[in-house]
Formats: sequence, structure tokens, C-alpha cells
Amino acid sequence: MSQDNHSARPQGRPPEGDSRLSRVEAQLRSPFLFFFVSALIWLLASSVLALISAFKLQAAAGVLDCEIFTYGRVSAAQHNLFIYGWGFNAFFAVNLWLTSQLGRFELRNAWLVTLGAVVWNLTLTYGVLRIFAGDMNSFSLLEMPRGVGPVLAVAFLLAAFWPIVAYARRPTGHSFASQWFIVGASFVFPLTYLLTQLLVLWNPASGVVQALAHSWFIQNLLLLWLGGSALASVYYFLPKVLGRNITGYYLASVAFWTFFLFAGWTGSASLLGSPIPLWVQSVGVVGAAMLLVPIIITAINFHGTLSVDGGWSRAWNSTTLRFVSFGAVAFTIAGFLNAFFSFRGYNAVVRFTSFGAGQEQLLTYAFASMVIFGAAYFILPRLTGSLWPSAKLVHLHFWATALAAVGSIAAALTVGWQSGKQLADASVPYAKVLAASSGLATASVLFAILFLVGHVAFALNAFGMILKSSAPAAESRHD
Amino acid sequence: MKNTKLLIAGVFLTVALPFGALLLSSQAQLGSLGRAPAEEGGPLFPPRTPGLAVQGRAVYVSLGCVSCHTQQVRPAGQGSDIARGYGERPSVARDYVLQPDVLLGDRRIGPDLANYGVRAKSIADVHVAIHHGKAFAFLYESGAKGEIPSERAASLAAYLQSLRQDYSSPEAKLKQ
Ligand code: HEC
Repeated sequence: MSQDNHSARPQGRPPEGDSRLSRVEAQLRSPFLFFFVSALIWLLASSVLALISAFKLQAAAGVLDCEIFTYGRVSAAQHNLFIYGWGFNAFFAVNLWLTSQLGRFELRNAWLVTLGAVVWNLTLTYGVLRIFAGDMNSFSLLEMPRGVGPVLAVAFLLAAFWPIVAYARRPTGHSFASQWFIVGASFVFPLTYLLTQLLVLWNPASGVVQALAHSWFIQNLLLLWLGGSALASVYYFLPKVLGRNITGYYLASVAFWTFFLFAGWTGSASLLGSPIPLWVQSVGVVGAAMLLVPIIITAINFHGTLSVDGGWSRAWNSTTLRFVSFGAVAFTIAGFLNAFFSFRGYNAVVRFTSFGAGQEQLLTYAFASMVIFGAAYFILPRLTGSLWPSAKLVHLHFWATALAAVGSIAAALTVGWQSGKQLADASVPYAKVLAASSGLATASVLFAILFLVGHVAFALNAFGMILKSSAPAAESRHD
Repeated sequence: MKNTKLLIAGVFLTVALPFGALLLSSQAQLGSLGRAPAEEGGPLFPPRTPGLAVQGRAVYVSLGCVSCHTQQVRPAGQGSDIARGYGERPSVARDYVLQPDVLLGDRRIGPDLANYGVRAKSIADVHVAIHHGKAFAFLYESGAKGEIPSERAASLAAYLQSLRQDYSSPEAKLKQ
């Protein structure tokens, strides 16, 4: 960023890390592993719940027809575990590690981070158990009882505020795109989470304003925290593994600012036709269109970098980049879909159908989760000092998750569009629309199994590696 | 981006601007909205929810019905809600002013319920609808003469019957 930067380090490229394990990395090893293992456990739990809720939507239901396993509770628990359990824990870990690589950074109080991790995961466990017990709210991703909110916010600060501290204390003026995204994401989430809790649960705003606040929160959570963190990883791993500068890196700061500036305005585009003021709806549509600016810039940055000098094929041959570039492509597609389907005419067709679920999965799975997997393949061997136990499991992980992601997203989008078209024609009876979309329920079961297979493969490999490393690493300290 | 304060201030503004301009100003615009008569001197709408239905509403929330059902009717230009018979007029903000937590919903796996109370012909139909095959059969006990709705099922049914936006409001008049 800084033109007046005197160091010889090339722009658009993260600093060369030490190939040995640095002292900071040693400091953050145990919080990192704590986060990462928690993330994996929640990922497995949410995959099992996803399978159950897919079964429940099948016409031939009758699976677990008891109160705690009603569809509403299972799907809410699944959603919360996937986002707050898997996504948050994983990015706590990855962002911390990235921060250690991008500048001088001391983690003297690693115990505070671990405390944050413990509190976060215990609170989440409690909140999800309350959902199963039926003590839940009606807004998605705010279902956990309201007492949970402030505790999670404090735990978030303990777990994720360090990149901001490190950024403020960095000795040189130079900084790298990944740092801005991490700082922005870590700053925005706790603030918007608390404000929304206040407006929706503690001191409820008038009627429909709650829905508006909720839509604003969802955009901040999905785009700025999950999306921003994932973008930070892409900006880091692409140039790092390819050994090349980001194409058009000078545009990255524009991408950063426009992404953060516009994302907060797009929420109301998900409420088109709802009883909220028309001008608010229109602001959302404009915001979603403006968001194309950072989408296009990141596309230039990422796909440009990948397109030079056989980049795509080299990315394909690196496990990390195979996942990360999959995510980068998904992000571009998600951005265009989001802008396009915010226009009233198209939105009217797909609103309330499975289309929205497909769009969200594109962002949270095909983009953010795949980037996390890619980052894990890079970071874990470094921190544990051992290799991935099984190359076969790596392949299985990639193919199962990639196919399941593409398949389930494509199914949700096309079925959403089709049933939206049928619903738009009031002469088509509702039962017919239901029957026509029943294929989605069957497909969801198959894809949920495939996701589970991929995640089990990943978890086996990762747990194998972590267990293998903990014993010899302790021994090797003696010599 | 050398200046940390600039970065933090900028990011803070990206939160504060939409919060102020969208949320707070909507709250200012809608916060004082209350019940209103359809015509001068008439009864106030929306009507208050009867006590049993208030309990039923809590059951509705706790069983996660909102994950499959919306309660909002979009205007004629925006989707086919009115043509489908989900309501005679679009929902307006005033319809929701008495609700402590708004159950608009964002997914329709089942039909919209904003006016289910208008559509439901008999209480027996409502109980059949609640069943959803066997998914919610646990809300019923088997008695000598068939099934008996539990307390929760009875209150849920009362709530569903209370769902109606079939009155004129100053923003959305019903066609005569
Ligand atoms: C898994 C999704 C799902 C859940 C959860 C769900 N429903 Fe339904 N509901 C449906 C579907 C689908 C239909 C349409 C069934 C049909 O027409 O055969 C429906 C129909 C209805 C109807 C009849 C609507 C009409 O216009 O005739 C009512 C009333 C209803 N549901 C109430 C509830 C209540 C109350 C709950 C919570 C206890 C609930 N639903 C939970 C999917 C769901």
C-alpha cells in the first residue's frame, strides 16, 4: 500500500515467512489447535444434523418424529453449529496464524485466547442445547437464547481481537491486504452482533424493524466476518504458494474499502416486498449492485494471478491452492448472483424458495469453508511438524466436498428458480409445486451423505496428524 | 494503509452509517406506529391477540414453525401472494406493531400463514394441518374417541385461527 515503503519487499506479496517454526507460531500453537479441533468437531456434528434435517424434508419422512428432532430445531441447531462452531472457530485459528505471518506479533497472553476459545465453545454448546429444548428465537442465526449473546461477544473479543492489537502495534508502516481484511472483519462482527442483539432481543425495535436489523446482521456476519476473513486467506495463500505478486494489487485497497462500505447496505435487498419502507428496500438493491465493485476487483486480483504462467494448473497440483482457488471462483459467482437476484423482478421469483439457501451455501461453504480447508492443509503441517497421514483421504476430502458443494448448490438454485416460476403462476396448485420440488429433498439427502464422507475423511487425517505430532514433538524438544 | 486510526475509523463508519441511516431512521419512521381504526371512530386494528393464542404463539416459536412458514403477503407487483390467496391486500408494517418478536419468516417450505385464520374452515381442519403427516403427532394424545389435542396443540390451533390481516388499515385498504 505505502508508496513510501523503503523495504525491498515486492508489493502484492506477503512477507517471506521463516521456514522454521517461529517463536510466535510456537506460542499460538496450542490455541490454534484448540480452535481447530473444536471447529472440526462442530463441522462433524453439523454434518450429521444436516443429514437428519435433509431426511426430515423427505416426503417419506417419519424419521425421528419426536419433539426435539422437529425440523425447525434440527435445522436451526445445524445452521448455528455450522456458522458459529465451524466457521468462527476455524477463522479464529486461521486469522491468528495469518497475523503471526504478516508482521511482528507477540502472543504473550496465549492463555487469554484459550480462555476465549473455552468460553466460546461452552456457550455455543449451551445455546444449541437450549435450541433443542425449544427455548429459541425466531430469527436465523440469532436462535440461541438472548443471554448467550453478550457472553459470545466477550469470548469473541478474547479470541479474535489480537489481530487488531498486532496491527496497531506493528513497527513498520507497511501492511498487506490480508491484514486489513482481518482487522475489518474482527472489528465489525462484535459490534454488529451486539447492536443487533439489542435491537432484536433485548430491547426489541418496533415490529418489522427487527427484521430489518436481522437482515443487516446477516450481511455483516456472512459477508464481512466470514467473507472478509476468507478473503484475507485468499490474498495470502495465492501469492504465497504461487510465489508471485497479486495481479493488479494496487486495486486491493479499493476492493477492501468498497467491500466494507457497501456490504452493510445490502441486507434489505433480502426483504423485497416485505412490509418495510420502500426506500429501505431500494437502498438494499443499490447496495447489492455497488458490491459488484469489490467483487470485480477481487476477481481481477485472484483470477488474474491464477491466469499467468500456468497458474491454474499449478494451483490444481497444490492441495492448498486447489481448495483456495475453488473458493475464489465461488466468491465471484456468489457476488454476481447476489447482485443479479437483488433486482426486483428476479427476486420476486426466487424469494422464499430454496434459492436463498443455495446462495448462502455458495458463500459459506463453496467459498469460506473451502478456503478454510485450503488454509488448514498449509498451516497444520507447519504447526504440528508432521505430514498428512493419508494422501488418499486428502483426495477423498476434496472430491467429496467439491462434488457435494457443486451438486447441492446447483440443486438448490435450479429447484428454487423452477418452483419460484411455478409459484408465480397462481393457477398452479401448491401441491403440484411441492411435488415438483420433491427431487430436491432426495438430492439433499445424497449430498448430505457426501458432505459427511468428505468431512470424516478430513477429520481422520487431521486428528491423525495432530495426535501423531503431540507425542514426538514433546520428545524432540529434548535434543 | 499506514494509519491504524484511519483504518479503524473507516471500518467503524461502515458499521455506523447503515446502522444510523437504515435502522435508526426506520425505527424513527415506524417506531411510533400504533393501532389505528380503518375508518373514523371504528375499532382499532390490528386486534389484540387473545390469551390462548398468545400461548400458542410461543409454541409456534419453540417448535420452529417459522423455518417453513412465512407470515407476510407481498404486494401484487412482487410475486403472486395475493393471486394465490395468501391475503387480500399486502401486509403493512402496522400489522406487526403488537408483536414482541416478529415472525415474518424467510423461507416457504409450506404456504404463507399471514391469513390462515381467514382460510381455516373448522378447528378440525386446523388440527389436521398441524399434524403434517406424523411430524407433529406428539402434540396429540390418543383417547377413547380418537385423538385429543394436548394443551399445546389447542393453544397452537387458537393462534393459527387468530392469524388474519383481513381488516383495512390506513396504508392498505381492502377493496370493497
Ligand atoms: C418442514 C417444514 C414445515 C414445518 C417445520 C412446519 N410446516 Fe406447516 N406446512 C408445511 C408444508 C409443506 C405444508 C403444506 C402441506 C400440504 O399442503 O400438504 C404445511 C401446511 C401447514 C398449514 C396449512 C396451511 C394451509 O394453507 O392450508 C398450517 C396451518 C401449518 N402448516 C402450520 C404449521 C405449524 C403450526 C407448524 C409448527 C408446529 C408448522 N406448520 C411447521 C411445512 C412445514
